[in-house]
Amino acid sequence: MENKIKWETEMKVALTRARAEKKHILLDFYNPN
Amino acid sequence: MDAVTYPQGKVIEFIQKHFIPLRVAFDAQPLSTDFQIKWTPSLITLDASGKEHHRTVGFLSGEELIPSLLLGIAKTHFDQDQINEALGNLEKLLADYPRSDSAPEAIYLRGVCRYKSTHKAQPLKEAYEQLQATYPSSEWAKRASPYRLL
Repeated sequence: MENKIKWETEMKVALTRARAEKKHILLDFYNPN
Repeated sequence: MDAVTYPQGKVIEFIQKHFIPLRVAFDAQPLSTDFQIKWTPSLITLDASGKEHHRTVGFLSGEELIPSLLLGIAKTHFDQDQINEALGNLEKLLADYPRSDSAPEAIYLRGVCRYKSTHKAQPLKEAYEQLQATYPSSEWAKRASPYRLL
């Protein structure tokens, strides 16, 4: 099992992966500061 | 979320199994404007075409995040008229996280899904009765209140 979440950072990449892997997308808007 | 929720093994496993996780800063354009982000964390469930189906704002513990995401998956299927898939995720939510904050909406939506599957009113009345018994002050009990007359 992974020991941390592997976040994508680009919507285009997430959409391509979601279609290919037949998954949903969890979009997290966060405050990096 | 980074300190408490996201490091949990069961959260990592659930997200990696069901989602493509995408993280962007609250002010990243054009997404921030497109999704009208006003506060963080804003967690949004999208389908594979990028359409929004579920959103929460504010911190969620692991025990609340997973059922919230299950609800997001169920709402995505519901919106796409995939009623059996929606029902499966709602049943899992209510079996594994029956006291979560997502449970009242799940009970309501399960009643609607069962109605759509059977075209019988009884599931709507049962949803109302269960909400009255378990979450009488929830907004979902109020929304289901017309079904008491069925």
